[in-house]
Amino acid sequence: MTSAPTGEISVRRDGAPRAGFFTDTSVCIGCKACEVACKQWNDLPADGSEFKKGRSYDHTGELSASTWRHVRFLDVLEPTEERRVQAAEALAAGSGGHAPSLPAAGDGAGGGVDVARAVADMDRWIFMSDVCKHCTNAGCMDACPTGALIRTEFQTVFLQPDVCNGCGYCIPACPFGVVDRDRIDGRAGKCTLCYDRLQDGLEPACAKACPTDSIQFGPYEDLVEVASERVATLHRRGMQDAYLYGAGDEPDAALAGGLGAFFLLTEPPERFGLPAQADSPIQEHVVPATLSAVGAGLLAAAGVAAAFLHAARRR
Amino acid sequence: MTRPRHTWPRVRGWLRSDAGPPSLAPREEPPATAAEREAAWVEERAGRGIEPAVGTLGGPASYRPGAADADVALAQPAWEDARWSYLYGGDTAYASEAPAPGEIAQAARRMRGGAPTSDVYGPMMKAPVWTWEVPLYFWFGGMASGSAFVGLACDVVGDERSAAIARKVALGALVPCPVLLISDLGRPKRFVAMLRIVKPRSPMSMGTWCLTAFGNVMGAAVAADVAGRRRAARALGAASAVVGGYLGSYTGVLLATTAVPVWARSRVFLGPIFVATATATGAAATRLTLAATGLPSRATASIALGNVEAGAMLAELALSSVNERRLGRLAAALHEGSPGRLFGAAKLAAAAGLALKALHPVTGRHGQNAASILYLTAALAFRFAWVGAGRASAADDEAVALTARRRQPS
Repeated sequence: MTSAPTGEISVRRDGAPRAGFFTDTSVCIGCKACEVACKQWNDLPADGSEFKKGRSYDHTGELSASTWRHVRFLDVLEPTEERRVQAAEALAAGSGGHAPSLPAAGDGAGGGVDVARAVADMDRWIFMSDVCKHCTNAGCMDACPTGALIRTEFQTVFLQPDVCNGCGYCIPACPFGVVDRDRIDGRAGKCTLCYDRLQDGLEPACAKACPTDSIQFGPYEDLVEVASERVATLHRRGMQDAYLYGAGDEPDAALAGGLGAFFLLTEPPERFGLPAQADSPIQEHVVPATLSAVGAGLLAAAGVAAAFLHAARRR
Repeated sequence: MTRPRHTWPRVRGWLRSDAGPPSLAPREEPPATAAEREAAWVEERAGRGIEPAVGTLGGPASYRPGAADADVALAQPAWEDARWSYLYGGDTAYASEAPAPGEIAQAARRMRGGAPTSDVYGPMMKAPVWTWEVPLYFWFGGMASGSAFVGLACDVVGDERSAAIARKVALGALVPCPVLLISDLGRPKRFVAMLRIVKPRSPMSMGTWCLTAFGNVMGAAVAADVAGRRRAARALGAASAVVGGYLGSYTGVLLATTAVPVWARSRVFLGPIFVATATATGAAATRLTLAATGLPSRATASIALGNVEAGAMLAELALSSVNERRLGRLAAALHEGSPGRLFGAAKLAAAAGLALKALHPVTGRHGQNAASILYLTAALAFRFAWVGAGRASAADDEAVALTARRRQPS
C-alpha cells in the first residue's frame, strides 16, 4: 500500500492544464478501433462478444471494468414491424424473400441491393464512442472512501489500482454508468485517459487509433474551441440538431460541472444512454440527506429517553 | 490562427540530435519462440488480471524504459503526436464556421431540456454490485445503534442493570458488522485501505470511521460495565449513543447520495426511515434480551421498550408510505419483483406486530415477545427490500432517464 501523497484526495486541481477528449459522433464510422487500442494498451481482457448483443448490431455490450472505450451503435435502421411482416410473407410465398419495399430486394430482376437507397439511409446509423467523462464534479471521486480515485495533474480522474479495495460505492455514484467492478479482479475499473501515456507525452491510445479523428485529444480549451466551430459548421449545413454534450454550457446548465471528455451528438442524449442532466450525486444530495438523517438520529435518541422517562414517571 | 493544432509537427528530441537514438536494448532477453513467450505469459498471469492492470504497486505505469532515463520511443512532451493526428486542419471544412454568441449553449439547452423522451437506449447506469452482506450489515448496524440509544435512556432513568445489558446487545450486534462489510469488498484483504484517509465528503468513509469509533467506545463501555466502573460506563455509553446517532442514519445517506433514482429521490426520507428501523430493532433486541435474562414484563424498561419499538415501527410505516406517494412512477421499484414482495412482507410483519401490541391484554407476555420478533423480521425485510429496490431502479433505464430529465436547468 502506498502512502497518500499530499493533496491526493483533492477533488480539484485548479490551474493545472486540463487534458480531454472531444468525441464527434458525426464522423464516427463504428469501426471499434478505439476499443481494441484501449484493450491493447491497458492490457484489458476480452469480455466476450456476441453478435446483436441486446437489440443492436453492437457486439461488445457496454462500458465495464474491462471495457473502457465502448462504441455504442444506434441502429435507427432496425426494420419496422411492417417490413418484418412483408419479409415473412415474401419468404412464405417462396419468392426467395423478394419484397418490393425492402431496400435489399430492389427493383431489378436479380434482387440485388439498392445501393443508392442504402447509402441514403446510412446517415441514420449512428455510432458513439463512449468513455469515462472525467467530470469536473466527479461522483465516483466524491464517493471513493479509500482515496483510490484522484484528480491527476492533467485534471483527469484516475483510479489507482493499487489502492482500490472494491467497495463498489463509485458504481452507483456515477450518473453516467461508467465505473464497474470486475467480477474476477474484484476492483473497480475505468478509463484512465491513458495517464501513463500522457505522462510520457503521448496521446491516449484510442485517440491515436481513431481513423476518422472522431476521437480528438488535446488541451481542453483547444478542444472546446474546435468542437464549437464544428457544431456551428454543422448548423450552417442544416444539421440543426447538432450540439455539444458536456461542454460550452452556461454554468447553471453544465453537466457535472463540465465534462473533460465531451461529445458532439445529433440526437437526444437518452438515445445514447446518457442522462439529460447530471451532477455528482454526493454534491447534490449529501447536505439535505445528512441533515435529515442526523436530525432523525438525535430525535430518535431523545424519543427513546422520553419513553423511558414517561414509563418511569407512571410507576 | 493561434491554435497549434494547425502547425506542422516540429521535429524534436533525439531525432534532431547528432548522437542518434538512445539504445533501446532490453534488460533481459525476451523468450526466443512464440511458444515460450506464451508459456511465460500464462505463468505470469495465472488467474488473469489480479495484478494491477496499469502499473506495478505504487508505480505510475507498467512501461519500463530500455535505457536508464530514456524517453518512450516517439515521446513528445506536450503531446505533439496528438496534433499531428488531426485530420481536420484549417484547410478543411470540418470546423470552418465561427459559432454565434450563445449558439452552442442554446443548442445543448434545446436538446437536453424539454419534455422527457420515451426513446431510451439503455443501459443508462450501472446497478450497485452490493450483495446480501450489505443489507444484513444495515440490519445489524441499526440494531447496535438502536441499542445504544436504549442504553443511554436506561441510564437517564437510573436503570443500570438494563443499561449494561443494552450495551452488551449493542456490542454483540456490532461484532458481525466488520466481517460482513469486509467480505462484501471486491478485495477483502485490502479492507485496511478504508482507513488510510478521512474523507468527510464520502458517506462511506465517514461510516467506516463511525463504525470504528462506535466499536471502540462501545467495547470500552462494556469493559467498564464488567469492571464495575459505573461512572465510566455511563459516560462511554452516552458517547456511544451520540456516535450511534450517525451509525444508524448514515446508511440512509450512503444510499441517497447515489445516482439510483429511487434512493436519490428519497434523500430526505431515507435517513429518517433507516433511523426508525434502527431504533425499532435496537429496542426489540434489547427487550427480548432483557426478557430472557428474567426481567419481568411489567418492569419500567420492558414497558418503555415495548412503546419504543411500536412507535418506531409506526414511524417507519408512516414515513415509507409518505415517501412512496412522493416518488410516484419511481416507487414501482419498491412495489414490483422480489423487492416489492419483500416490502409487502415487511409491512405485513410490522402490522402483525403492532396488532399483537394492541391486543396486549389478550396476548400477554408471549404475545409481546412475538411482536418484538416480528419487528426484527420486518426490519430485516425492509433492509433487503431497499437495497434490492435500488438495484431494480438502476436497471430501469426509463426511470433513470426520466429522473435526469426532470432536473431542468433553471
